[in-house]
Amino acid sequence: SEAMTTTRTVNWKTQGSPSDHLTLGDNVSTPGPDLTTQEFKQATKENVSNLTFVEYEILLPGVSATSMEKNITLDSATRIELSCRLDNKYSHLKSLQVTWKRGNETIRHINKTENSWSIQLRILDNSKLGSYTCTLKGEEEISAMFHLQVPKIEGKEKPLVSYEGDSTIMICKSFGYTPITWTWYVTNGSEQIAINDSLLAEKYVINRVPANVTHLKILKLTKEDDGVYWCEAAFELGKSKGKLKLKVLSFMVPLKPFLAIVAEVVILVTIVFLYEMYSKKKEKRAGDEKEFDQVEQLKSEESNGLENSSARHRKI
Amino acid sequence: PPPANVGRAPGPPDGGWGWVVVFGAFVSIGFAYAFPKGIAIFFKEIQDFFGTSYSEIAWVSSIMLATTYGAGPISSILVNRYGSRPVVIFGGLLCGIGMVSAAFCTSILQLYICVGFITGFGLALNLQPSVIIIGKYFLKRRPIANGLAMAGSPVMLCTLAPLNQFLFDNFGWRGSFLILGAILLNCCVAGALFRPIGAATALVKTQVTEEGKDALKEEVTKDAMEMSSPTNVPIETKMEEEGGKDCCEKINQYLDFSLFKHRGFLIYLIGNVLMFLGFFAPIVFLAPYAKHIGIDEYSAAFLLSILAIVDMIARPTTGIIANSKWVRPRIQYFFSFAIAFNGACHLLCPLASGYTGLVVYSIFFGLAFGMVCAMLFETLMDLVGATRFTSAVGLVTIVECCTILLGPPIGGTLIDTFGDYKYMFIKCGAVMVLAGTFLFIMNYYNYRMLAKEEKERKAKEEDPKSVRTENEGGNNWNKETVQDRLELEPLREEQEGLKKEANGT
Repeated sequence: SEAMTTTRTVNWKTQGSPSDHLTLGDNVSTPGPDLTTQEFKQATKENVSNLTFVEYEILLPGVSATSMEKNITLDSATRIELSCRLDNKYSHLKSLQVTWKRGNETIRHINKTENSWSIQLRILDNSKLGSYTCTLKGEEEISAMFHLQVPKIEGKEKPLVSYEGDSTIMICKSFGYTPITWTWYVTNGSEQIAINDSLLAEKYVINRVPANVTHLKILKLTKEDDGVYWCEAAFELGKSKGKLKLKVLSFMVPLKPFLAIVAEVVILVTIVFLYEMYSKKKEKRAGDEKEFDQVEQLKSEESNGLENSSARHRKI
Repeated sequence: PPPANVGRAPGPPDGGWGWVVVFGAFVSIGFAYAFPKGIAIFFKEIQDFFGTSYSEIAWVSSIMLATTYGAGPISSILVNRYGSRPVVIFGGLLCGIGMVSAAFCTSILQLYICVGFITGFGLALNLQPSVIIIGKYFLKRRPIANGLAMAGSPVMLCTLAPLNQFLFDNFGWRGSFLILGAILLNCCVAGALFRPIGAATALVKTQVTEEGKDALKEEVTKDAMEMSSPTNVPIETKMEEEGGKDCCEKINQYLDFSLFKHRGFLIYLIGNVLMFLGFFAPIVFLAPYAKHIGIDEYSAAFLLSILAIVDMIARPTTGIIANSKWVRPRIQYFFSFAIAFNGACHLLCPLASGYTGLVVYSIFFGLAFGMVCAMLFETLMDLVGATRFTSAVGLVTIVECCTILLGPPIGGTLIDTFGDYKYMFIKCGAVMVLAGTFLFIMNYYNYRMLAKEEKERKAKEEDPKSVRTENEGGNNWNKETVQDRLELEPLREEQEGLKKEANGT
């Protein structure tokens, strides 16, 4: 696999930090010189509302056909530093031109250290998410890509099977990140319609507690409820959907194999008993014949015995 | 006048229809052992559906297992009274009804009743009679028959696991339970194959055939082995002659509690109860342990498949080995060795590092597990004889029931307390090595006592006076047995050689 190392350091104030991060003290930097007025305002807002800071780095091993990529998941507003570091063995390469891009948009203000180039970004809303590329142009071109995304919600590959008149529960979980809210959608044709559980309370019940799990309970299932459902988690930086499939069957469907197997059992049991009666009759007939033969044999033995004893008597 | 050989049933056929019975037992035993494990696939879905915790769902399996073992004595009583066939057919029907009603359950409590109690009881009515009827059909080749029949468990498990997954993907849990109910009805087919034989159908025929003579000799040697307490003489027709009996004898007719005075039975009981404390826990925790040391889910599941496949091969093979003339007379030692071997595997497991080590462990564990299971009932039959086995198996299973249920939770507590799986393996290994050693020593003692009693009995027979006084004493020796012993005097000389024949071949 790729030889890349990433460092992730997080600094923030003690309030509201997840348990698996280190607290190193706060490091809220003042806005830099290239910010516009609006960004400045936002930055001030950030300073008040404990912004997290993360660093990600890709170590470029050198010229290779495969491009290096890293997926970064962000759920809330973050300050992020992305850096591309060139391996020491290539430090002899001169005249390297480095560009950072997001799509067609070039990002200025690249911080350069000895052999790493980094950019700092403030991700405050969905618009700043995407793929950021660093390209090193020398004799050859080396590039790496960072994908900034909202957390993915996993649905289920296999459909949930239920029956008409029954109820079913569909569950969506978010691992590691807590969404702000959940919304459920049902697919009608090509449209996605949000499910309003307060309006249709006898049909749908949505449970949103605890915050990173949601349950959709559908009651009194009918054939029309069959189809694709989406659970959407809303994060500060965007939304993410998970796909679930529901199959509603009528009770006739499992009944057919059931009756087939019951019929097979009845047939086999009948065959076994019939065979037993048949072989018993055969045995009885054979037994009667044997007895008859034996009686005959005993009769002849008796007569022989008498002859022998009389013979012995005569001898004596 | 035709020579008198009245009332002696021909001995076990050791073949013929017996192999069909083995197949039926294979199916029946397979369902009884594999089904509780197989339905675990549905638990996640049912847990979500009813909104319960995992432990509440796991109770379904525990209740099922507890009922299967705990209803043993009831099964024994019914078999003593009605024979194996009707009991197994009724058991199959009960299983079917249980699972079909489970398909319509609306609460977890109903599931406990339908899947846990009703189906569990049905499986109990399948398990015991299947094992019992093998003892009625086989004597010389009984270990092989037992080994083959017990192989039903891993084969069924390997079949049920993917089948259950397929059913679940296509029909959901309700539909699957419905279809599984129908599949369990196949136990009725297995039951139909259990043609009654032996004491219940003793035919009074005036035949002097070679078979009759040989069987007679075998019965003699069997009786010689059961010297410690009077046997429940096989032929029920004699009991009718007896007329008024006292209360104890009536109970004993249904369930032989006098077994608790039987030395061999007690040794078996204590040894096995100890063994079951550590028997099942390693299987339950093998996959979680593998995941714990970093192996992915599918490879962890594959370990169990390896175990099942090796188990499948080991059981009939052990049956064949146990049947050989070197092992059969000393089968109790072989059984003790198998248990200790099992224990040794568990003790060495913590030393296994990485996936390869665990694969090796799984192979040896599968081998040891199969060896023990194949001989589990064979050794009991060997100790108490085929006639008392019916009651013995019921009594043994209800006592084992407690330790079987305690084993995995104790293991689980050890894992939770120490946060490390190795203590669970050490505990299981130690318990099994202890059980194996105990059985080895006690069976050595038992063999010696049996040989001593055999000598005493022979000495007594040579003196006809003492035999008659015993008869007058009415010491549970009814007339027929005395007559048999008098008849057998001319055959005494041949006994030595024949005993070896009967035991060894």
